[in-house]
Amino acid sequence: MILLRVWLTEKPYRIFREGIGRARRRFRATTNEERTAFHLWSMDFESNYDIAASAQFIHTHNFTRVALQFPDHLLKDSTRVVTALRKRLQSLKKCDATGSGHETDVGLFVMADTAYGSCCVDEVGASHINADCVIHYGHTCFSPTTTLPAFFVFGKASICVADCVESMSKYALANSKPIMVLFGLEYAHSMQQIKEALLESSMSCRFDAKPEVHFANVPSSVMFPSKDIKKINGLQEQASGASGTTCSIGGLTWKLPEGQSMDDYLLFWIGLDDSAFANVVLTFNACEIVRYDANEKQMVTDLFQQRRILKRRYYLVERAKDANIVGILVGTLGVAGYLHIINQMMELITGAGKKAYTLVMGRPNPAKLANFPECDVFLYVSCAQTALLDSKEYLAPVITPFEAMIAFNRGSQWTGAYVMEFRDLINLPEMEVIDQEEARFSFLKGGYVEDFENQENVEEEREVLSLVNATEKALQLRNNSNALMKGNARSGAEFLANRSYQGLNMPSENNSPEPYLIGRRGRASGYEDEKNKQ
Amino acid sequence: MVNFTVDELRRIMDRKHNIRNMSVIAHVDHGKSTLTDSLVAAAGIIAQEVAGDVRMTDTRQDEAERGITIKSTGISLYYEMTEGDLKNFKGEREGNEFLINLIDSPGHVDFSSEVTAALRITDGALVVVDCVEGVCVQTETVLRQALGERVKPVLAVNKMDRCFLELNLDAEEAYLTFQRVVESANVIMATYEDALLGDVQVYPEKGTVAFSAGLHGWGFTITNFAKVYASKFGVDEAKMMSRLWGENFFDSATKKWTKKHTGTSTCKRGFVMFCYEPIKQIIQLCMNDQKDKLWPKLQQLGLKLKSEEKELTGKALMKRVMQSWLPANRALLEMMIFHLPSPASAQKYRVDNLYEGPLDDPYAHAIRNCDPDGPLMLYVSKMIPASDRGRFYAFGRVFSGKVSTGLKVRIMGPNYVPGKQKDLYVKSVQRTVIWMGKKQETVEDVPCGNTVAMVGLDHFITKNATLTNEKEVDAHPIRAMKFSVSPVVSVAVTSKVTSDLPKLIEGLKRLAKSDPMVVCTMSETGEHIISAAGELHLEICLKDLKDDFMNGAEISISDPIVSFRETVFERSCRTVMSKSPNKHNRLYVEARPMEDGLAEAIDDEKIGPGVDPRNRSKILSEEFGWDKDLARKIWCFGPEGKGPNMVIDTCKGVQYLNEIKDSVVAGFETASKSGPMAEENMRGVCFEICDVVLHADAIHRGGGQIIPTARRVFCAAMLTAKPRLLEPVYLVEIQAPEQALGDIYSVVNQKRGHVFEEIQRPGTPLYNIKAYLPVIESFRFNESLRAQTGGQAFPQLVFDHWDMVPSDPLEPGTPAAARVAEIRRKKGLKEQMMPLSEFEDRL
Repeated sequence: MILLRVWLTEKPYRIFREGIGRARRRFRATTNEERTAFHLWSMDFESNYDIAASAQFIHTHNFTRVALQFPDHLLKDSTRVVTALRKRLQSLKKCDATGSGHETDVGLFVMADTAYGSCCVDEVGASHINADCVIHYGHTCFSPTTTLPAFFVFGKASICVADCVESMSKYALANSKPIMVLFGLEYAHSMQQIKEALLESSMSCRFDAKPEVHFANVPSSVMFPSKDIKKINGLQEQASGASGTTCSIGGLTWKLPEGQSMDDYLLFWIGLDDSAFANVVLTFNACEIVRYDANEKQMVTDLFQQRRILKRRYYLVERAKDANIVGILVGTLGVAGYLHIINQMMELITGAGKKAYTLVMGRPNPAKLANFPECDVFLYVSCAQTALLDSKEYLAPVITPFEAMIAFNRGSQWTGAYVMEFRDLINLPEMEVIDQEEARFSFLKGGYVEDFENQENVEEEREVLSLVNATEKALQLRNNSNALMKGNARSGAEFLANRSYQGLNMPSENNSPEPYLIGRRGRASGYEDEKNKQ
Repeated sequence: MVNFTVDELRRIMDRKHNIRNMSVIAHVDHGKSTLTDSLVAAAGIIAQEVAGDVRMTDTRQDEAERGITIKSTGISLYYEMTEGDLKNFKGEREGNEFLINLIDSPGHVDFSSEVTAALRITDGALVVVDCVEGVCVQTETVLRQALGERVKPVLAVNKMDRCFLELNLDAEEAYLTFQRVVESANVIMATYEDALLGDVQVYPEKGTVAFSAGLHGWGFTITNFAKVYASKFGVDEAKMMSRLWGENFFDSATKKWTKKHTGTSTCKRGFVMFCYEPIKQIIQLCMNDQKDKLWPKLQQLGLKLKSEEKELTGKALMKRVMQSWLPANRALLEMMIFHLPSPASAQKYRVDNLYEGPLDDPYAHAIRNCDPDGPLMLYVSKMIPASDRGRFYAFGRVFSGKVSTGLKVRIMGPNYVPGKQKDLYVKSVQRTVIWMGKKQETVEDVPCGNTVAMVGLDHFITKNATLTNEKEVDAHPIRAMKFSVSPVVSVAVTSKVTSDLPKLIEGLKRLAKSDPMVVCTMSETGEHIISAAGELHLEICLKDLKDDFMNGAEISISDPIVSFRETVFERSCRTVMSKSPNKHNRLYVEARPMEDGLAEAIDDEKIGPGVDPRNRSKILSEEFGWDKDLARKIWCFGPEGKGPNMVIDTCKGVQYLNEIKDSVVAGFETASKSGPMAEENMRGVCFEICDVVLHADAIHRGGGQIIPTARRVFCAAMLTAKPRLLEPVYLVEIQAPEQALGDIYSVVNQKRGHVFEEIQRPGTPLYNIKAYLPVIESFRFNESLRAQTGGQAFPQLVFDHWDMVPSDPLEPGTPAAARVAEIRRKKGLKEQMMPLSEFEDRL
């Protein structure tokens, strides 16, 4: 993480250097699509970065330490944003200063290179500088925060309204079902225009049948933390009680009339083929979806690749069913309820007779995960838009909490319904455990395999014989050639015992305990004893 | 008019010396099911008149329609012999009643897994051979399988009626034909010299060969005739038997037996004179309706016909007369009872083949002695769909102890490892049932030596399992069956409606259970795959899935998927190197093809992870010319830890090498599972690790660094060693008349196959053609062959070997490159394969 610190009172910038190279590398790695999005950003700087609204937000809530969170590709604009924001705040303050007497400095901090996805609010990073609010720039997943209020600046991507409306009405006329328009948040600014234009065109339309087009809304760009995880869902339930159901995904919300479900709609997505879109495709996989690409000015109807993802996820779930050891990867430290879901997953996994280990390692990559060869499957707890990690590079599949629910709950079935956001899982009604008197059938092995913990009488036997088993293992001749074969060990210790190399041997002669030594204190970047030397 | 009751049956089940478990095996269309019918008729389950037409054991509708057997079916028969008949019986027996548990098996090569399952639970085999077509491929295959399982064979030369009615063979010619059949069967059996099993060859003069006409329900052994003539001539029965076969001639003028043909017209071979001619005579009389001559003849034979039967004419009359004169069931059953072992005697020598555990433990003893009071040892060889939708009977053989209704059993699945809890269940048997063709009878318990079907275990057994008593925790399982065919043809199935997926899953589960060979798996892209032994097998499986197991939900079926293998042609042109993600570790590897036959040896588990390293290096150095030291440095096999690829360590004096072995093995596992070209399994590739540079800190050479690097370097090594694709190839055997040969050649060539053998069957106008045919071209081969030859040629296809696709897949435009692109497209990969630079690094 880099903290770029800019005090209002003319102090020089101070940059924590160590992360910059990493950020640069990652910038180079950003995809072309992201870069085109970035070019669009330069339209009109002030309005693009929503300087006025964000200054107003800071000012009205009297925040004094504000963290500005930039994704890597926007980092180069950060100083200009800070300057502009500072100017605006000062002018606001002047207006105010005449009224009230007290005067405080507003500290603006630039945060970049977040530990997890840049779409989530990095609350941990912000708390390093005791920030009392975060202003988040760029693409966001709108995951709720736990402690800090956040203001989101989506940016404004250009779109040809006329063309968009034309293709939308064309599509609407070709289909009889009502259409629900969803969009990338960077296009939120022009939605009003599109709505009006569509209305106009339908007025002038000669056809009698008017297309039924609904738009999703962006409720607000401000988010306040909710302490109680139940409350978020509580609110939703209330809304559903009033008139139909409220759906929300990635910051968009819309209402469905009573008795209708999303399957009755066609989805029209305006925006890029990014993680937000993938999220929509997976969640509403039963709907027909088309995408309007604003850059190319064309409709994309072939979503074969996205459908393919769903099948692949199905395969991963089947793989997960065969797993014995599950590594829970903590992929967020900010999204509300993440601790709750981790605990819930732990319970689920142990309940299924498997072993769970929790791993915190920042953004996962294949090399990092390969350091844990004992894990048969990884469970990635993160915000909805960074949740899907799938590449053949990974040695073990990485699944989402929802997939884990299917894989580890006996009797639950893959029906095609898919939930991305883990907070939707927290209040999910306890799945009815159908006590099927049948062993589990594994499609990877092509036969029945049993997680034997589920059989009671064998369990007793295990306890009685545990000592015998332990000694037996110690005496066993090992077949080293397939030591790292997956799926044999039931716990990390057992896995280690099967490895051909188990680390250095402890010297056995010296049995007396080592004397206590006082270790170093501080962080790895500079321990306390090292600081003294400088 | 069932002439025996369940109680009677159950009573004999306890007499282990009076039981015969046997299977009927043969080439397709040699008349197994028909012959079985005539046996069943003897037990009185079906009427004597329709025997030969009903095909009692073809219980499925499609079996009846297609006229082939698809599933093996068990049937229990009761047979009572007279004291006089048994006077020559040497073995142990208790009383004159015998129980014969018979399993009829399919003859088509696609279903030979059913034969394997049948052989496992039987002790004897009735090998049926068409007297005209002779010993065919499938006869040979099943015979080898039977002997491999230590199942004792007896021979039935079937379709005798063809000799008399169709071919009108001269008696001497007919004899030669029969003799050839017997000899060619003996040639195969002679290769299985087994001290414990004894001489397994068959001899007509010893009564181990029967001659039958299944369709007409008659048959005989030399014994039958010998008995008659022995009393007539007043000679010893055994002596008479030896005279009725082989080089023994009788001159009716001089009434003398000679060893050579004397040249006079009255001198005839014993068999011709006393067996063949009388039958021929009777048949001719019947067919020509010469009833005036027939009646006295019958009188002479001591046969009495009912008055309404006397009204019959032609074929019907012939059938009736022959059935009452030489009933097939009597000949066959007596042959079985006399010459096939009882469970008590068979299990003595079969135990070595069956039991996995030490041969001196109580379980081995119980099996050896067929001990009804010993611990239960039961092998479930197949699952049979029950009338109750979605449920299955577990069908198997009790080797020792007793299985009873309500008994709690320990189910050891195929992956069970003694002492571990894997693949192990303890459940109770809800019901024990004995199988009688189309109907089942519930019995209280079934003792050892018998076949049994059990209800209530189908939720825990996929295909086969070993059952024992609940408390017998030390028991080892009974060895898994080894199939002669492997599932090479696959399709992907998906439900048409997404929400029907649970139904599909349920259906696939049932399908996997219903057939010993079909494999239901899943591809990495999330598609359900069904793999079967051949096109017909696949067709039957899909039909079952659609009609019976899916509850009406619709499915869509993809085009057939054929899996390929990736291999190398030469040693790598240079040592390739890959760096770890942190650039601190380097692996240097070369790839080379394995020696000829080595991959097959690994497939057969002659060399592999399970073999003692000392033996392994001995075989490698002696048979494959390996350096002895090198043979000791094999790190691993793969994929799955046992596949036909390996990693050898050839580095010298490298530090920390032992630490990264596990990581390299893990990387090799993924690399050998999906090669660099089309992500297919590798085959016959040997990787040599030439050098390794590792970081001094353990954390920087951990799994995270080494596993991906190992995988990359193996792929790179492969790409530099002239990679090639291997495609599966069928061995095709076709039997057809001469005029069809031209068409057969053209069809085979059209499908990229080539004929490598063409032999005329001696004494027939038929030709035997053997050809190799790539599996990928084989779809619809059957139909086009039949269409081209007007139904005269009927091919049998068995997977035979992997064949290299000759062109270079790395060169654009070649057939191999096109094939790679096609596979990649099907798998949803980028059509362009990854370049070498993706895998290899430079210093």
